[in-house]
Amino acid sequence: MSQVRQYELIYITPPETPEDALGELHQQVEKVVHQFGGNIEKSENWGRRKLAYEIARHREGVYVFDVINGPAALNAELDRRLRVVDTVIRHMIVRVDEELSVAERARVRRKTAMAARRVKRGLPPEPTEAEKRRDHDDDDMDGLEQGFRGGRDGDR
Amino acid sequence: MSDERDGRGGGRGRDSKDGKDGKDGKGRRGFFRRKRVCKFCVDKIDYVNYKDVKLLAPFIPERGKIQPRRISGVCATHQRALQTAIKRARQIALIPYTTD
Repeated sequence: MSQVRQYELIYITPPETPEDALGELHQQVEKVVHQFGGNIEKSENWGRRKLAYEIARHREGVYVFDVINGPAALNAELDRRLRVVDTVIRHMIVRVDEELSVAERARVRRKTAMAARRVKRGLPPEPTEAEKRRDHDDDDMDGLEQGFRGGRDGDR
Repeated sequence: MSDERDGRGGGRGRDSKDGKDGKDGKGRRGFFRRKRVCKFCVDKIDYVNYKDVKLLAPFIPERGKIQPRRISGVCATHQRALQTAIKRARQIALIPYTTD
């Protein structure tokens, strides 16, 4: 069996697309996914959003976001199908499993490094609640910058 | 004699003052200058999410181009991640390719 990968699919339909057309589209996607032995992990409808630029003379679009697990062949087939469908004005499939695992590794590495440092200093490995609260306010730069800007506005 | 000494003393005083100014200039140069830090390293963001427009927006100036890291101060690793994220966001019209 081929390797299971994780993909993120985003597609955009015109803003006037009726609900049942969206449902039908979702079923089509689901059918293809199941055909290749994959599954839809998450499905979100972002609703109407303004497009950053015109696509097929539309200024707005309905965004639908899916997280899909499946083999590489699924990606190719889904891409081909979505290209054909008229109600989808733009779609994008991105493979995310590798990036997410890299990010997760980095997170774990940092956490263990922090715990090791803290233990070395004779502190508990996890920061306490009081410390966390102090961390929130450590960026003194923002305050300075705001004050400076405020002063300049006052001069004018 | 004493006048000369005073003059020299004044000169020396100014010299030392200049030296101090120079030292300050390295850090701030009179104006308030922000220390260059990578936003993603500071906030501990491991994955630059292309769907998060609010995260990407500060790195896209008015024209819609990607801000070079010599200006934004982002580290090389995160600039690379940021670059792919912005390019993906552009593809699905979350961010403009150009604005004029």
